Amino acid sequence: MQGTKVVRPFPFFRAGQRASQPQLAKPILVLEDVYKFFRPDQPTLRGVDLSVERGEFVFITGPSGAGKSTLLKLVYRELRVDEGRVLFCGRDIARLTDKSIPFLRRNLGIVFQDFRIIDHWTVFENVAVALEIVSMPQRLIRSRVAEALERVGLAGRGPEQTSNLSGGEQQRVAVARAIVPEPALILADEPTGNLDPHLAIDILTLFEEINATGTTVLFATHDHSLISKRDHRLISIDDGRVSEAQQGLKHWQGSSGIHTLVG
Amino acid sequence: MDVKSAITRARRGLREERRLYVVAVTSLAVAFICLGATLLGVTNLDAAATRWGQSGRITLFLKDDADPQDIAQLRVVLEGLADVDEVTHVTPTQARESFLEEADVGADLSSLPSEVFPASLEVALVQGVTRERSESIAMRLTQFRAVSDVESYGSWFQKLDNLLWGARMLAAGLAVLVMFCVVAVIGNTIRLAVARRRQEIEVMKLCGATNGFVRGPFVLEGMFQGFASSLLAILALLAGYLALHDSVDSTLAALTGSRVVFLGAWTLVAMLLGGAVIGAVGSAVSVRRYLAV
Repeated sequence: MQGTKVVRPFPFFRAGQRASQPQLAKPILVLEDVYKFFRPDQPTLRGVDLSVERGEFVFITGPSGAGKSTLLKLVYRELRVDEGRVLFCGRDIARLTDKSIPFLRRNLGIVFQDFRIIDHWTVFENVAVALEIVSMPQRLIRSRVAEALERVGLAGRGPEQTSNLSGGEQQRVAVARAIVPEPALILADEPTGNLDPHLAIDILTLFEEINATGTTVLFATHDHSLISKRDHRLISIDDGRVSEAQQGLKHWQGSSGIHTLVG
Repeated sequence: MDVKSAITRARRGLREERRLYVVAVTSLAVAFICLGATLLGVTNLDAAATRWGQSGRITLFLKDDADPQDIAQLRVVLEGLADVDEVTHVTPTQARESFLEEADVGADLSSLPSEVFPASLEVALVQGVTRERSESIAMRLTQFRAVSDVESYGSWFQKLDNLLWGARMLAAGLAVLVMFCVVAVIGNTIRLAVARRRQEIEVMKLCGATNGFVRGPFVLEGMFQGFASSLLAILALLAGYLALHDSVDSTLAALTGSRVVFLGAWTLVAMLLGGAVIGAVGSAVSVRRYLAV
């Protein structure tokens, strides 16, 4: 019998399923000649070309208002490109229907500067929500959340109210929520912006540990001290244009100075 | 949509916003009480009309100088009719006594003239005789010599019909009003709840929640509000009914010959389900505009 075939974008994010070989061979994220306008005469992003391979750790930097967050928002489709294409696992995100966007986001882990965790929920509830939306059985949710909390250094803290946690711990909860569905790509938008320098290093290290397990990480920050401590690929956005260094600031060949670069 | 997860999240929402929901449910219960009270009125009028319609009767007022033989012949004719159950001859004296006994108006009516109470034949019709049939029999009976006037109570039924129609229209109007009321109150309550839980919605949407997943608990909360309001209204009406039943029942029985009845089972089910459905719809409509993240 020929049933109606339901086509979902990004079908590999299903329990027990992995990306196919052709999908694995492609870069996880490609931006082709991307333009984004908020004002007609002044594009926030102009002709951005970018390719991110699977398993990469990429810093995205630039002064405040340069378009770092805009770039990330284009990837999780809070914004739509005005020109060009954004390909995630080979699929053009701009062409997704509204109904398909949730399935895109289930493949992404998003972490924000302001944490965006729910104060009146427990740590467990804040992390578990990312699995509840995919209707995962409670037993599995419990074990996966416990595992994620252990990875971010909050083992056994599930029943605690998040409002009682420190800023660094709250950000760890947000990171746990981002990694618990085992996404293909993590988008971190200034995740250390509200943290002390030593906590910022802790959180960066946490993302690096996550990256070491094979998850691709895009880490947007304008914190020079963080970027200078690591040799990850560096992408700078300035005046809507992108320039990059493959191995951190040491190999930076851009025309602008470091202070212009990171604001 | 995962129903179990939606129920869990709806329970959490109800717990967290309980004050807001208590106020909303109480306000809606008042609206449902108005609707229920009107329906109760319609139900009782309907019951009275049905009872009167089923226990049809005709009164034949006899001429003062009617020949007793003509009256006896008339009785024989009447008793021979298949639609007639019983015929009773009421003399002027009996009519006067009966009236003075039943009319508790607090005034001395014993001096009323005798022509006020003519002799009559009270004809009780069998169960199920239609109003049209009753009118037709009454029409034919006017042709008898001994009969001065025939009362088939058609005008009373007409008035009752008009009253019932008016009450039904009132109930229908109130039902529409209550529906708008429920949609508006639940819509506003859910809007407030959504505003308070905006961050939750945003987080869920960024984690990949579908609109159905986000909407689910709010729809259930709206459904619960509608159901709880109508249940509260039904319980309040039932309490009122039980408290006033004895005193109202005897008065109504004396006036109309019918007993007070409470809302029927189907009406109750319709009120409960209607409340739940309208609540769910109101909630779904109001949450829709907050889903774009």
